[in-house]
Amino acid sequence: MTWKFELVAGPYEGPNGGLAWDGKAMLFSVIDEGRILRFDPNSGAVQEFRRYTNRTNGIAFGPDGVLYGCQEGGRRIIQFLPDGSAAPTANQLAGRYHNFPSDLAIDRGGRVWFSDPYHGTPAFGPQIFPPLDHASVLRLERDERRQWVIRRITYDTAAPRAVLLSIDEGTLYVAEGDAGRIGLRELRAYPVNSGGSVGPYTVLHTFGADHRGPHRSIEGMCLDSEDNIVACAGWKRSGPGPLIYVFSPSGAVLETHPVPADLPMRCAFGDVDLGSLYVTTGQGHLYRAKATGRRGVYRGPSPR
Amino acid sequence: MDIDMVAPGLERIAGPDPPLDRIAHGLTFSEGLVWDRRNGQLFFVDIIGNTIWKWVPGVGREIVLRPSDHANGMTFDRQGRLVVAGWSKRTIWRLESDGRIITLASRFQGKKLNSPNDIVVRSDGSIYWTDPPGGLVIPGMVAEDVQRYLDVQGVFRLSPDGQEVRLVIEDCVYPNGLAFSPDESLLYVNDSRLGIIRMFDVRADGSVGPGRLFHKLAGSEPGVADGMKVDMEGNVYCTGPGGVHVIDPKGKPLGRLKIPGHSTNMAWGGEDWRFLYVTTYNSVYRTRMKIPGVAVW
Repeated sequence: MTWKFELVAGPYEGPNGGLAWDGKAMLFSVIDEGRILRFDPNSGAVQEFRRYTNRTNGIAFGPDGVLYGCQEGGRRIIQFLPDGSAAPTANQLAGRYHNFPSDLAIDRGGRVWFSDPYHGTPAFGPQIFPPLDHASVLRLERDERRQWVIRRITYDTAAPRAVLLSIDEGTLYVAEGDAGRIGLRELRAYPVNSGGSVGPYTVLHTFGADHRGPHRSIEGMCLDSEDNIVACAGWKRSGPGPLIYVFSPSGAVLETHPVPADLPMRCAFGDVDLGSLYVTTGQGHLYRAKATGRRGVYRGPSPR
Repeated sequence: MDIDMVAPGLERIAGPDPPLDRIAHGLTFSEGLVWDRRNGQLFFVDIIGNTIWKWVPGVGREIVLRPSDHANGMTFDRQGRLVVAGWSKRTIWRLESDGRIITLASRFQGKKLNSPNDIVVRSDGSIYWTDPPGGLVIPGMVAEDVQRYLDVQGVFRLSPDGQEVRLVIEDCVYPNGLAFSPDESLLYVNDSRLGIIRMFDVRADGSVGPGRLFHKLAGSEPGVADGMKVDMEGNVYCTGPGGVHVIDPKGKPLGRLKIPGHSTNMAWGGEDWRFLYVTTYNSVYRTRMKIPGVAVW
């Protein structure tokens, strides 16, 4: 089945980042503009959901109905509360400020799993706190006194970009590596132990290189209702080009679909049937492919 | 202390070899210093350390308030009460002698302020402050509510009766330090992002005229336009690359007082107002000038 992508919003200044379907419309982050916008598929209108987000990238709803965001400019996960305010959470790992949260996945217990890579753009303000000596997947959660704490989840990543949980939350998928740095670029599956830590990973897919340079690996991904992984990867510079991949839980490539713009960033299912895939790009576009033949998993703020 | 002499006027101000004493250290981000002439002591903050300190010559320092909600600039009002640019608290507040905290201003046109950074009181009792948005995002110093609501980063004025908050300057990028000329006819405001100091004519009603460029800071060492103070002859002292930049009333650079580290703010002090106290990220220093600064309260 061929997917037909249509441009539904943008381009905006700089890359677009994370997306989240709120039940009626698609929220998406325009990172450098410091805004989260809301595309309404009924009217086709784009409205501003939040401004002054200080370079928030990944966004996702928690089971509490609150929208969480990865604020790269402040090196923290924040909550965009329904009254229009925004609350910071913890931002230290064992007494040290973590790096630049990029992507997140929130489990049914409200724990926020997030990638914490380095970033070429410093956080806002004076540079008091150096980054961590590792770039890992971290998890934000409440302790027994309801205080936010952060735990380290991976000990074998160097540039984690995207994170995703399987439907049963028994597997953590991590897109490791980016084409801008030396190192592995692969999609990994970590088994989640009952205690919340992860076991040794398996590699579901590896991205290569050729004389034109490294093949761009996964920047964002989401699940379909059959537990497959729908991922944004590739670029025009090298490799097979900008693509949406559909991987089975064991890593078989079920489908690939060309994206009509370079640098696909993040993706999410939306529209009333959750059958459309929305994709953001590095040039600030929001694309949509209707009738993908797949359905998303609803994680929005209220029952549909 | 090392001095970068650009024009001979600086020797008359600083002398050939002014002292440089470190009076406090071990801080994370010190700022907001002000001399309390009544008790002969220096108040200052550690923004990230979340504390208001005071330092008494010959005695040492002690905590005044912790947590301080990451308080930033401080000064005294006409009654000698400490008034504070609340930064992450997003208010202007006053510390009473019994320890109570009184909120003086928290909103403009119904919206929360950004994060008040530095503050000055005019002789009529009105309070002016800068309101950049840094206290909503900088790691280590953030508010309970990190959402910004105002579409302006400006300079505000609270009327002497405490009833009216007025936006007096709205065309700043990142307003930070502010100070009046000795006769209060001019208001100087610097901009950390642009690295400039602008001057504004102050009108009788406390509003100001259009801004004019007073001086553009130069240098590549650590430090940005942050704290700013004025001496009795109208020379302007502004933190910048390498330490404290001294600029004559016409906007000509006289030179730099070289301070180790990254200077953040300064205050005049001592009985004759000739000590110049300077905060850096980690320390508080003291030097001594030959002409007095503008007294506070």
